[in-house]
Amino acid sequence: MTGILKQPGAFAITPHKVSLCILLKIYAPPAQISVPFPFSSVSQHNRLGLFLLALTKSCDDILEPKLDELINQLRLVSQNWEASWLIDQLISRLSSLSSPDDLFNFFTDIRGILGGPDTGAIEDDQVILDANSNLGLFLRRCVLAFNLLPFEGVCHLLTNLGIYCKEEFSSCPPYEETSLDGSSSNLETYSEYENMDLENFVYEKVSEEIEARKEASERVPFHLHTPNALLSLVDDINVAADSASKQTDKVRVASPYEDPPSNMIQDIDSSGAVFLRSNWQVQGYLQEQADTIEKNGSAISLNGFEIILRQLQKLAPELHRVHFLSYLNGLSHDDYSAALENLHCYFDYSAGNEGFDFIPPAGGNSFGRYEIALLCLGMMHFHFGHPKLALEVLTEAVRVSQQHSNDTCLAYTLAAISNLLFENGISSTAGILGSSYSPFTSMGISLSVQQQLFVLLRGSLKRAENLKLKRLLASNHLAMAKFDLTHVQRPLLSFGPKSSLKLSTCPVNVCKELRLSSHLISDFSSESSAMTIDGAFSTTWLRNLQKPRGSLILCQENGSGNSSNVSQFCAQPTSIPGSVLQVLGSSYILRATAWELYGSTPMARINALVHTTCFADASSSSDAALAYVKLIQHLAVFKGYKEAFSALKIAEDKFLSVSKSQILLLKLQLLHEHALHRGHLKLAQKLCDELGVLASPVTGVDMELKTEASLRHARTLLAAKQFREAASVAHSLFCMCYKYNLQVENASVLLLLAEIHKKSGNAVLGLPYALASLSFCISFNLDLLKASATLTLAELWLSLGSSHATRALNLVHGAFPIILGHGGLELRSRAYIVEAKCYLCDTNFNVFEDSNLVIDSLRQASQELQLLEFHELAAEAFYLMAMIYDKLGQLEEREEAASSFQEHILALNNPQDPNDPLVSIY
Amino acid sequence: MEEDELVDADFYLLAKSYFDCREYKRAAHVLRDQIGRKSVFLRSYALYLAGEKRKEEEMIELDGPLGKSDAMNQELVSIERELSTLRKNGTVDPFCLYLYGLVLKQKGNENLARTVLVESVNSYPWNWNAWTELQSLCTTVDILNSLNLSSHWMKDFFLASTYQELRMYSESLTKYEYLLGTFGFSNYIQAQIAKAQYSLREFDQVEAIFEELLRTDPYRVEDMDMYSNVLYAKECFSALSYLAHRVFMTDKYRPESCCIIGNYYSLKGQHEKSVVYFRRALKLNKNYLSAWTLMGHEFVEMKNTPAAVDAYRRAVDIDPCDYRAWYGLGQAYEMMGMPFYALHYFKKSVFLQPNDSRLWIAMAQCYETDQLRMLDEAIKCYRRASNCNDREAIALHQLAKLHSELGRPEEAAFYYRKDLERMESEERDGPNMVEALLYLAKYYKSQKRFEEAEVYCTRLLDYTGPERETAKNLLRGMRSTQSSLPPTDVDHFTP
Repeated sequence: MTGILKQPGAFAITPHKVSLCILLKIYAPPAQISVPFPFSSVSQHNRLGLFLLALTKSCDDILEPKLDELINQLRLVSQNWEASWLIDQLISRLSSLSSPDDLFNFFTDIRGILGGPDTGAIEDDQVILDANSNLGLFLRRCVLAFNLLPFEGVCHLLTNLGIYCKEEFSSCPPYEETSLDGSSSNLETYSEYENMDLENFVYEKVSEEIEARKEASERVPFHLHTPNALLSLVDDINVAADSASKQTDKVRVASPYEDPPSNMIQDIDSSGAVFLRSNWQVQGYLQEQADTIEKNGSAISLNGFEIILRQLQKLAPELHRVHFLSYLNGLSHDDYSAALENLHCYFDYSAGNEGFDFIPPAGGNSFGRYEIALLCLGMMHFHFGHPKLALEVLTEAVRVSQQHSNDTCLAYTLAAISNLLFENGISSTAGILGSSYSPFTSMGISLSVQQQLFVLLRGSLKRAENLKLKRLLASNHLAMAKFDLTHVQRPLLSFGPKSSLKLSTCPVNVCKELRLSSHLISDFSSESSAMTIDGAFSTTWLRNLQKPRGSLILCQENGSGNSSNVSQFCAQPTSIPGSVLQVLGSSYILRATAWELYGSTPMARINALVHTTCFADASSSSDAALAYVKLIQHLAVFKGYKEAFSALKIAEDKFLSVSKSQILLLKLQLLHEHALHRGHLKLAQKLCDELGVLASPVTGVDMELKTEASLRHARTLLAAKQFREAASVAHSLFCMCYKYNLQVENASVLLLLAEIHKKSGNAVLGLPYALASLSFCISFNLDLLKASATLTLAELWLSLGSSHATRALNLVHGAFPIILGHGGLELRSRAYIVEAKCYLCDTNFNVFEDSNLVIDSLRQASQELQLLEFHELAAEAFYLMAMIYDKLGQLEEREEAASSFQEHILALNNPQDPNDPLVSIY
Repeated sequence: MEEDELVDADFYLLAKSYFDCREYKRAAHVLRDQIGRKSVFLRSYALYLAGEKRKEEEMIELDGPLGKSDAMNQELVSIERELSTLRKNGTVDPFCLYLYGLVLKQKGNENLARTVLVESVNSYPWNWNAWTELQSLCTTVDILNSLNLSSHWMKDFFLASTYQELRMYSESLTKYEYLLGTFGFSNYIQAQIAKAQYSLREFDQVEAIFEELLRTDPYRVEDMDMYSNVLYAKECFSALSYLAHRVFMTDKYRPESCCIIGNYYSLKGQHEKSVVYFRRALKLNKNYLSAWTLMGHEFVEMKNTPAAVDAYRRAVDIDPCDYRAWYGLGQAYEMMGMPFYALHYFKKSVFLQPNDSRLWIAMAQCYETDQLRMLDEAIKCYRRASNCNDREAIALHQLAKLHSELGRPEEAAFYYRKDLERMESEERDGPNMVEALLYLAKYYKSQKRFEEAEVYCTRLLDYTGPERETAKNLLRGMRSTQSSLPPTDVDHFTP
């Protein structure tokens, strides 16, 4: 059922290995004196030895060099005439292998250069290969591989040898002349695939080569770029030796489907599927692609990758993970039907037994692990925005994994369900979850959705802890923190008197969960060596594809002293796995969000900054974009729109490819805000509608976006002084938020309602809303919003008459610390204006004595509002200023303030400013 | 001149003999300088076959580290080059065109291949191989209709066969019956008719046709697996064993033979042995669709669901239109307690075969499972099933039951009555009958339509068991209410 794949390390004898054997034979000819014939000194002899050592080490390479490359390298390693002697020998011996019998004889001969087990008895100056040395082992493996070949295999080797030699002869017939000419003509053929500086390099190289010959210098061979350039060249030249050649053609034909700008594909094209050989390498490649897709799916082109996968599938029909990759590919490109088909196909074939590394193999379970299929299917439906279907499937997953007692899968499934419940508004789960999982339904108690969510989260958390699934544990902690952030803690079963109820969120809990989640990193760094996943080695190897070749020649320069360079590319990865970093990164994002809600903007900013600086590489592109969004929002609130928009430009360039992106959302938000402030209401409404369109039409999906859109809609209506409509929009929004348990959003909706009533002149009606909002804010610890609500409350009191001025003033002063510490430009200036108004209304206030108090506040406010281009409030501030100056009799200042007032009023009434650069953005 | 032709003919004969001995390269070599039409075709065809032979050998020799090599027929390029120049010069004959089409198809140039094959069959219609190649290139009805074929009776054969392939069974059947008028004694047409009838699930007719076929053509192995399927479905043990023995003696290493033996063992309940034979059939022909599906069934019987899923999935990958395999997949997942997951497969299956009541019933049962309880969907499926000739009459009964469960007495009564009518017409009896009668009696009683209720109650009295007592009680209850009612009311109820 599962793949009948050959052993990972299958060592096949190839023409290149035959050449190496020939060179080895030259290096250690049987029965020779200490320095064999062509070499003039021991060091020269040793240099060839090191070269061979490097070559044998890279023999498990993805692609093998062709004969002409080998010859070039030989030329670089050895001296002039001995090089040509070597090459002469190599080619003549290769071409003398013309019948199967020659091959048999050759491999029998070669055995002679190996020392027997009794190496000690051999004379000192005889060169002999220790059978256990690297070179000896290589030789033995070659001989063994040859002996294992059936006759057909020998025939194929012979044919391949013929091709191997023929290519060399055809590319440079008179090989005495510089063979680089041959390769440069080759290069021209393929130049379309390479960049310019490579060509330059080759010409440079030629001249250098000529000089080098004259001087017989030792510097040239260590030219660092040589192997790289050769390698990238080779990538596009057919490897004639085996079946890969035809494939290259196919992939190249496929290139029109690929997106030119994405150089991802270039990578795949050249180093990926085409030359992958062993099972492990393919697995590693697939793993790497999966990581890339997870990080930033749209970076890989749908068709290009699909073609490669199809090729792979043709070559390896039993490697089912290919189907999984095409599922991922479909998923990341929103191709529903392809994703669905491939998912089913993958699990039908593999029964969930292939490719899930994080699960220890279950002993004796021969029934397959189809619950994983359900889990994946559920997540897929979730991704495509089908919460109902997803819930249905995940419930089945819960049932099946309970049935098969697969606790790991159960933990993941529960996490997925809670995630689903969290992200999507589902007003009732009755009958879906209850029956099979929740322990409460058996007691006949129905729980609200959020209580159920809480139970689920707790269950999942506990399970993850017991099963030591660290990554899951960390993300569960994050989910828990998220839950704590937005939901009031309520006892699950309320027996007895209700007085003990503490109705508030608990910031300490949030903090605790966040801390717990980032403990993960210390766990991982201590045990990372044990975490190598099958195929991961090949993956890192692939990543360093360019490096090994570089170090291969490099090590000869430093002689034996620096052989670590060679082994460097064999070293295991010691860094923390990317997925862990990703979880950590999102914990910082969550921290930023938490602080944002709790009202500490500096902290929010710092956490977002930490994410962008430390986790930019590891995090998924949507996370990274989110961090940018937070930073830009911060800029807009504190520095005004000009700076925010210029930052937005940068972010847009950076996250061009992110689909359904937060960046687009942010752009709309900022533009809307800006349009509102400038009084450009038509534009504002248009932007607001566009924001609403981004959300999915399915009920319960994209709740956040929908709330945001209708909140903005209400605000636009308010700005247009259509109070009735605004109020009705806000009301329906409140109902929706209530239905889907969006309590935090409710606080701001209530505040908006209070604002609407205040603006419409119904202060008495506004008061209860403001108070309700205030109490929401208190129970959810939303400090900044609370300050803003307090401000609105003060304004409402103030509008009830001057007798309430003191009360209002006290309220404003109470809120001042948080507003000045954390509030944005708008909030601060609003507070200043309200304060000034309070003073002015207060009958005890003497304008002549304390005028500075008021004037200072108002000046501050007007400055900040000008930065924001908030014309309405700015006009108000200047109006107040003008009135005060008038009272004080300072006519000059009065005129100045009055003209500013006039300016703002005009701007407000005539919002279309053709000179405005920001308008052109949209 | 004449001598030359004679010499040429000698070359041709020599080459033909080599060709018949399967020495393709040798045959091609003999004909290397010949330019006669026959010689050119024979040479190219021999080369093509030599390439195919080598390709298959290489596939075994060179199974790369990933399990499969992409060996290719090395001769394709040269053959294509030669034939395309011939075609351009206009000196190509229909057989070379056929070969050209074959080569083009292998190289993936399907459109040109189609044109070339059409040219070939139009100029020489009696080359059935060309027709079959053309058929494999007609994957949709639109493609089929777009072909520009000149009319000939071979075209009818082609159309009939292609209709079959496109699952247009009744069209195919009419075509074959028409052809049977001309070719009255054709075994081939008989077998094809049997195939179409089989797809339409007319097993009795299929059996009759095959009996006739075996009489006229006793050593036939072709298509006999279908006959065995019919015998299996009808549970004819001895006939199936006789057939198995017969094909075994004729040629045991035919995939069909192995399949028939596998069917026999399956019918005997020896599933391990039957899997062995299906495996052998698959070894002989890796793409033998029905063997994969049947093997899947065996694994299901053996409760080895993962293996069953694997087998079914392979069948689906060979032919994505094989509704049996999709159905099997669904069944396997349902067995594993994953009804929701199974639904995906059932949906596929009913999409491909929307007129098969069994598939609809399976899907309905899936919706009905305890885990899902999506009864409304189940009702929709049952309704479809009852509309398409539900032989076992499960759908009506289930519909009635579901409606009564959902508290819709009117609908429930409607379906019970329908079910009852059907049982009466088919003269079946059993617990379903009792259940229907009892429900109807109670229903009419609650509707105060006592006369009808009485009819059903009296019918119930014919049965033994607790229902009889219930019926008696009901009758008694009705009589007492009726007698207590004022006479006007009674008049009101009696029409």
